[in-house]
Amino acid sequence: MSLYDYDLIVVGAGHAGIEACLVGARLGLKTLMVTTNTDRIGYMSCNPSIGGLAKGHMVREIDVLGGEMGLAADATCIQFKRLNSRKGPAVRGSRVQSDKHKYSAFMKKALQNEKHLAVLQGEVKKVLLNGKTCEGVVLQDGSEIRSKAVVLTTGTFLNGVMHVGMTQTPGGRIGDQASHGLSDQLLEAGFEVKRLKTGTPARLHKDSIDWSKTIPQFGDDRFYPFSFKSPHAYQLDQIACYLSRTTEKTHEIIRNNLHLSPMYCGIIEGVGPRYCPSIEDKVVRFADRDSHQTFLEPEGLDSDLIYLQGISTSLPLEVQDQFLRTIPGLENVQVVRYGYAVEYDYFEPTQIWHRLETRPIQRLFLAGQINGTSGYEEAAAQGFVAGINAAHAILNRPEFVLNRDQAYIGVLIDDLVTKGTREPYRMFTSRAEHRLVLREDNTIDRLADLSIKIGLHGAEAVDLLNDLRQRRQDLHEKLQNTKIYPNAETQEKLLSLKTSPLLKSVSYEELLRRAEVDSQSLASLGFDIDLDPNVCEPVEIQVKYAGYIKKQNELIEQTRRLEGLILPDHISYSDIKGLSTEETEKLSRIRPRTLGQAQRISGVNPSAIQAIMIYLKSRRLAGEELPLGKQSK
Amino acid sequence: MLQRDKDTICAVSTPQGHGGISVIRVSGPRALDVSRALCRFLPKNPESHKAYFGTLTTKDQQVEIDEVLALPFLGSKSFTGEEVVEISCHGNPILVQWILKELVTSGARLAERGEFTYRAFMNGKLDLVQAESVLSMIESQTQQSAQQSLRQLKGGLSEVVENIENELTWCLAHLEASIDFSQEGIEIVSSDELKLRLSKIKTSVDDLMKSYTAGRILREGLQIALAGVPNVGKSSLLNSLMGEEKAIVTDVPGTTRDLVEGAFILGGVRVLLSDTAGLREAQDKVEKIGIQKSLLRQKEADYILFAFDVSREFSEEEAKILEAYPTDKVFLIGNKLDLIGGDTQKATQILKKSPSLSNFFSRIANPEQFFKERVFFVSTFDKKSVDSLRNALSKHVEMSQIEDQTLIMQTRHFENLVKVEALIRAARELVSQDSSAEFIALELKQALILIQEILGKRFDDQIMDRVFKEFCIGK
Repeated sequence: MSLYDYDLIVVGAGHAGIEACLVGARLGLKTLMVTTNTDRIGYMSCNPSIGGLAKGHMVREIDVLGGEMGLAADATCIQFKRLNSRKGPAVRGSRVQSDKHKYSAFMKKALQNEKHLAVLQGEVKKVLLNGKTCEGVVLQDGSEIRSKAVVLTTGTFLNGVMHVGMTQTPGGRIGDQASHGLSDQLLEAGFEVKRLKTGTPARLHKDSIDWSKTIPQFGDDRFYPFSFKSPHAYQLDQIACYLSRTTEKTHEIIRNNLHLSPMYCGIIEGVGPRYCPSIEDKVVRFADRDSHQTFLEPEGLDSDLIYLQGISTSLPLEVQDQFLRTIPGLENVQVVRYGYAVEYDYFEPTQIWHRLETRPIQRLFLAGQINGTSGYEEAAAQGFVAGINAAHAILNRPEFVLNRDQAYIGVLIDDLVTKGTREPYRMFTSRAEHRLVLREDNTIDRLADLSIKIGLHGAEAVDLLNDLRQRRQDLHEKLQNTKIYPNAETQEKLLSLKTSPLLKSVSYEELLRRAEVDSQSLASLGFDIDLDPNVCEPVEIQVKYAGYIKKQNELIEQTRRLEGLILPDHISYSDIKGLSTEETEKLSRIRPRTLGQAQRISGVNPSAIQAIMIYLKSRRLAGEELPLGKQSK
Repeated sequence: MLQRDKDTICAVSTPQGHGGISVIRVSGPRALDVSRALCRFLPKNPESHKAYFGTLTTKDQQVEIDEVLALPFLGSKSFTGEEVVEISCHGNPILVQWILKELVTSGARLAERGEFTYRAFMNGKLDLVQAESVLSMIESQTQQSAQQSLRQLKGGLSEVVENIENELTWCLAHLEASIDFSQEGIEIVSSDELKLRLSKIKTSVDDLMKSYTAGRILREGLQIALAGVPNVGKSSLLNSLMGEEKAIVTDVPGTTRDLVEGAFILGGVRVLLSDTAGLREAQDKVEKIGIQKSLLRQKEADYILFAFDVSREFSEEEAKILEAYPTDKVFLIGNKLDLIGGDTQKATQILKKSPSLSNFFSRIANPEQFFKERVFFVSTFDKKSVDSLRNALSKHVEMSQIEDQTLIMQTRHFENLVKVEALIRAARELVSQDSSAEFIALELKQALILIQEILGKRFDDQIMDRVFKEFCIGK
């Protein structure tokens, strides 16, 4: 009988927990999920949607790497939009609105399908520690479950407190208990624990809304599923969302009741997200605006509940009733669940390695809101990375770290562990300095090799990945190698496409560079083109934006050498001559993984990088060949 | 931050200051190319370790800068183990700065402190003991880096650069908001407005590059303006300083109607001294033009010598004129000391207690120091008093303009401005082509990083901070 009950324990069943569990189980580890409420697996506690700008990118990355989120979102999509479709290819983002109950059910089924995975309802009070190593968890009843690694994905539940008006209730989400004990134990073990705040709007009964006063908003006709494995057709009926706006009256009521808002009378200490302010915040900070838009989003095909996007609040119930009824369409609204704010513990993420293992305690991994992030996609991305790294630690495989020029997931984690965060961290495209090459369309090109190496996909999916890449390559080569000649028929067709006639023969690639020409027009010119959007779109983008992509790649090249220089874990910065006190302190605390990351730490000067280089070279500590010249001796 | 080890770098490798010869070292993969851009006399394939003599010109070959010796070290047979060209020129600090600036324009960048030695070590040209001495050099640089900012430069320069930073951040915040928050129904900047703002930024950058002092002083000389109300003896002061009768001296107020210019050498620098028309309500047209010209000249001047008559009370009118000048440009020259018996102490007391000057002194951080360094009492009949003024001025010119750190920083700034200008131009072109925001942002973000380097700041999250401040965002 083994010393361990399980290989891997994942605490939490949210978007991070699910991905972590699935990775463990799919890599053959005996995995246990512990959650306080098995009815809330994969639950969308806030808005019923997946994706969006920069977030959609991460969902695709998770999908190519072998995660579940994309498949679940595709299968439960009831409205799809490609955002920024008129902008450049790098900043287009996919977003689906999901039927949240079907989404939950999809995830539950995915978990059930894994034979190595068990799910247990219970509350984890502590982690089992053997010195500086985590060896399992202790439940509420005192029972111990032993494992080789633990992933914590506790969301908003650690010391969670919900606020409505002046009332505070312990809990991480309406209807669910908070978790106590774990934070205190880790605080004692030397972790820095801080508070954050987030909020959610009211849920309304759909029959109490006068829809005629709202403006319907429809999704796109064309579906670009997140997963390369999903069919290109919608799997469920598609619905509309509805637009309405707050009024002067709404704002007046909110202003008159600010003294009852826990945000405004100092009760809430945690920092909330600036990109997702409560309606109180909007009214106060943007006093000159007389109206704010709100989208009414159905929570599902069979659900009676409407999510009121943009109006999160923690005002008292009667004030919520009052101000909601001043919004056109909501004059007689019936609130099913009121909005509230929640405060919770997070661990300053500069305490974890890129592999999401904590520095103070080995074999303990953190993912999701516990690291100070916000959003389902950010959580799932970390859950996935924590899952792989926990599994790799158990299986004695190398750590899995994505670079900033490889994936948004790499940007996310590097930002967290390098800079820490003071507000709930959300991904934006502007956080990615190499965003022109981190596109949704080239996710497969960026990550397929890595994914196949990780080995989460079945043979069929691997074939599909290879097939897509091969077809893209074939098409690109064919465009380069096939010429179009200026005969009468061609010129006439070109004119009908509103583009100038040819002066001499050119390759189809050259022709495709023209703004007026796209894949469809090439087809109409008689070019035999693979019109599968997973093939022709990425190739078209690669051709049309080649100049920008080249420029971005040059910038990446300039940073790559420092990024490739791994700093040994045990390096002692106080031994390095030439570092200032501030630099020594910061480098020792954050312990950068590469020289590139060291350079991104605020307060670390270029001269410090040189000092470290000389130190490494003189002691021959560098993980690989140094960038300059030959290694001496 | 970019990978900098592959750059071609340049710096003076002889001690700073006035010497007979200065040696400028250029090292890196493009050392020869960069040097040849200025030293056209260098053959395409020069011999290693052989000195070539010729005239070094500006990159555009419009101006001959100096006669120099250029000594290429090819392959890895050099101090740094890289391709190196050593240029020996005449030992005038401003000349050296000019050549460095031209090298930067041609694609080199200024070396960090200790960087040549650092490269030598990395290329196996030095041993560990020598390397340790490099580290201490780097350390001293780190300690200084906090001060390496524009604050050290004089005048309103830092304000101008901060304005550029501010404008760039504005443009980027709007561009980024239009990408990441396109669903929020927020106002997005129009391409006309963006173009306008970028053009303004470009003008500011162009102006900054033109004002690049080291080069300008060498080309045009240092500008010193003599100012003061009529009949305080400006013209005779000018004559004494220059040692020749240039201005017309009479005792009728308003005699100097035009700018009188004279050039002389002060602290190794050519100085253009201009006597400006006495400032007072002008009676006739010719005088009016003279006064307008002199106001303009005083605005452009590097220094303003404000002359007054010590035998008279410092008047409200004089104080009012003084108010208009930046205090760091002003020298107060009390003339006609002979009229009060040459008593400097008495003159000082009167000046300190003058009620009309209290406002001016309150603008000065350290009045004691100002009195020591910027206030002089002279009599044009007493050659010694004029000489001591001239010596003090000369010292000041040397201290402030040739002080090594300032010049080096200026060249660094210039280096960045050259790149910023190109990036802004590219961005404006993209706006005209109706490119998507992320492409424009790519150019502007690089420009912002360079501008912040000048300000001694580091690129961080300020664009998003600005977005959240200005736009109401959030679902």
